This record gives sequence, structure tokens and C-alpha cells, in this order.
Amino acid sequence: MTNAGIVKLSIFQFSLIYLLLIVVLAIMKKANVNQTRLLVVASLRMTVQLTLAGFVLTYIFENPSPLFTSAYLLAMTLFAIHRALSKNKWLNKSFKWAVALSLAGSGLIILAFFVIVVVRVDFFNPQYTIPLSGMIMGNAMTGVNLGLKSFKDNFSSQRKRVETLLNLGVKPRKILLPFSQNALETALLPTLNNMVGMGIISLPGMMTGQILSGTPPTTAILYQIAIMIAIATVVCLATFSALNLGIRTLYNDRNQIDFIYGN
Amino acid sequence: MDIIRTKDLVFEDFIRYPDISIEKGKVVFLVGSSGSGKSTLLKLFNATLSPSSGAIFYEGKNIDEIDTLKLRQEVLLVGQSVYLFDGSIKDNFNRFYSYREMNMPNEEEIKYFLSICQLDFPLETQTSILSGGEAQRLYTSIFLSFLPKVIMLDEPTSALDANNAKSLLREIIKLAKTKDMTVIVVSHDKSLSDEFAEVIIDIEGSKTI
Repeated sequence: MTNAGIVKLSIFQFSLIYLLLIVVLAIMKKANVNQTRLLVVASLRMTVQLTLAGFVLTYIFENPSPLFTSAYLLAMTLFAIHRALSKNKWLNKSFKWAVALSLAGSGLIILAFFVIVVVRVDFFNPQYTIPLSGMIMGNAMTGVNLGLKSFKDNFSSQRKRVETLLNLGVKPRKILLPFSQNALETALLPTLNNMVGMGIISLPGMMTGQILSGTPPTTAILYQIAIMIAIATVVCLATFSALNLGIRTLYNDRNQIDFIYGN
Repeated sequence: MDIIRTKDLVFEDFIRYPDISIEKGKVVFLVGSSGSGKSTLLKLFNATLSPSSGAIFYEGKNIDEIDTLKLRQEVLLVGQSVYLFDGSIKDNFNRFYSYREMNMPNEEEIKYFLSICQLDFPLETQTSILSGGEAQRLYTSIFLSFLPKVIMLDEPTSALDANNAKSLLREIIKLAKTKDMTVIVVSHDKSLSDEFAEVIIDIEGSKTI
């Protein structure tokens, strides 16, 4: 990568951007949007969290070690799992494991393919593995979240359908499968729609970042296309796996469905 | 011969059922005040719920040893939660039969089962325009068309007026008699049990603990 020189921001220059928040504050006040506190908290948290991340990444880049990369990877994965689980409190214990394993497994497989097979650098090279895994895990988490939410909505609103088919002697898996197919679709659609508009409606973040830092646009688009395909795959894989493994935890060997989880 | 028999049946430690025997081919009404566990008993019979203790025997065999899916197909529960798919009456037969991995009955057979449930609609009628009572009868006719060995009707006439309720049950029982089908009915309507019941089982002997 060439570093044809991005303008290094001085702290003073950088702090000017915070002036824009005054615009948001003013509009919020005028429009009676009572989220001033959240705006302040969000801006502060973002600043602190990213500053810390900046320090940590600087340290890791200056002292590259498989240990640091793995630790960062592990922390990111655990965080993604934690977020997905805390947003879906209705999951039973085994379903939680299904979600956790699916997220971690799918994320690692796609990341490894990207870094080792496509880019062909050392898997523990922090410069590639860390940012790519962030995008992959983050999107996998959002996808799984959407999928689980849609599954649960369907499952609880269609209880009569489930009971009816159960009484008819239909296999629980067959009864639940349409809900998970639906959920998978819901999880995938935002990513696919995003791909459709890409380059026209928006220049995506990663590509913009690379161009700003001096990477030729032709290289930047190759990375962008690659990451989009990786994201679509990881969302699909993680959601499919979480739902398919998870469905099995909703009924027992007597083919009884526990509706407590659907409430 | 008893087709269903229970022994020391307890559900969730608060409903204790008396021992019950149901004879094959009979029309049996289960009575008892609300909350006495009538609907629950039907769900125990088809193993969508499990008792906390005690046993249920179907054709002499403990249902714990019977494949639950097969049991449910033979001891068919027409529950209170009526569900129909979007689409026409015919579409509904189609969907339910494909879930059961069976060929759908032909139009004449479908019309026959609809007529038993006092429904005189073209098969292309959309289920979305049916009234509550009509939907309930269509639901019942679909279940009935599977011709199970035992049909369990949980409040089958809750959305019907007295006359419709009686003719519906009369026709169902007529069909059951020709097929040697056992009919188990849970109903609050005393006039129905007075007229149709061959056996009345009071599960109130079940004391609530």
C-alpha cells in the first residue's frame, strides 16, 4: 500500500469537528427531541472508546504478536456474542450456545478465508486481521440479531398455527422451518440491498478510508467488493447455522414444543 | 375394549385426575367446571403435554412407548385455537395434507367433509371472508377428513348458535359411527351432552390440590 500522504489532523483541527454537534443540539432543542443526554453520552463514549482503541492498535501494530492479535480477535468475538445474546433474552440456554458457536465459527471461517486465501498474508498480521474481523463480526452480529428477532416475532404471533400443526402430528422441525427461512431472508436483505446501491448511493466506509489514506481507488474497490461478499456470506452462514441449530432446542424427544420461549 | 385408559394421572402437581376408561367407538363427553383440566387432559392424551406422574394407555400400550407423531395422527385433537392458511378452502386442504405428507382428497370428498360440518361453500372461497363460526367448522372438517381412530373436539361449537351446534355434532357422530371412530368432546353446553353423550365422564372427581 502506498501512503501518498493523508493530511495529519492536529488536535486543534480535529476538535473543530465537534462544532457540528452544536448544530445537532440546536435542532434537537428546536424540534423537542429529548435526546440531548444521549447525544452527549454517545459522543463522549465514542471519543473515549476510539481513543483507547487507537492506543491499543498502535501498540499491537508496533509490537506484532500472534498473542495480541488472537486476544483482540477473541475480545471482539465475545463482544459480538454478548451483544447478540443480550438483545435476545428469550433464548434458552442451548439456543444461546447455538448462537454463540454459529457467530464465532462462521466469523472465523470467513475471516480466515479472506486473510489467508484471498489477501495471502499471515493470519496473525494485525493490519489485516483486526480491521477485517471487526467488519465481519459486526455484520454477522447484526444479521443474526435481525434473524432471531424475526424468528421470534413469527413464532410467538403464529402460535395457533404451531399448535394446529402439532396436533395434526407434524414434525416440530417441519413446523418451525418456515419461520427460520423467513428469518434468514430478513437477515440477508439489508446486506443485499446495500450491495445494490453500492458505489451509486454511497461510497462505503472502508473504501473511503482507504482512499483518504492514499490507496489507489482501483485497489480500494477490490477490497470493498471482497469485504461485501465476505459480509453477505458470513451473515448468511451465521444466521442459517444459529437458527438451524437453535430450532432443535425448542422441542424435546416427545415432539413437544415449549412455548415459554416464544412468549 | 378400552381405547384410552388413564392411571393416577397428575398434571403439574395441581390437577389430579380420576382414573378414566374410554371405550372404543363411543361418544364420550368430558365435563367439569372450568379450570378442572379438561383441555389439558386432551393435550395429555395426544402427548403435546406430559403428565408429571401417572400413565396413559392407548390401545393397551403406555403412550410413553408410542411414537408421538403417530399417536397424534391417530388420536386427533381439534383444539380451540383455530388456524387457517390464507387462500381458498381448497388451498387449506392442500397445505394441511402436504404437511402430513399425504395426497389431498378429491373435490367430491372435500365437499362431503364440508357438508358434514354444515358448510356449503365453493372450494374456491377465500378463508379470509369466513365468519368465526364458519372458520371453526372448516377447521373441524379438515381435521375430520383425516379420519383418525379417535377424534377429540375441544369446545367444537363455541362459535356456533344452538341449532348449528346440534346439527354439527349429529353429523360428526353419524360419520364416526360408520367409521368406528371414538369421539371425545369437551363442551360447556349441557344440552349437547344431554342429547349426544353415550358416556359422561366427570373429571371433577379430580380434585384440584
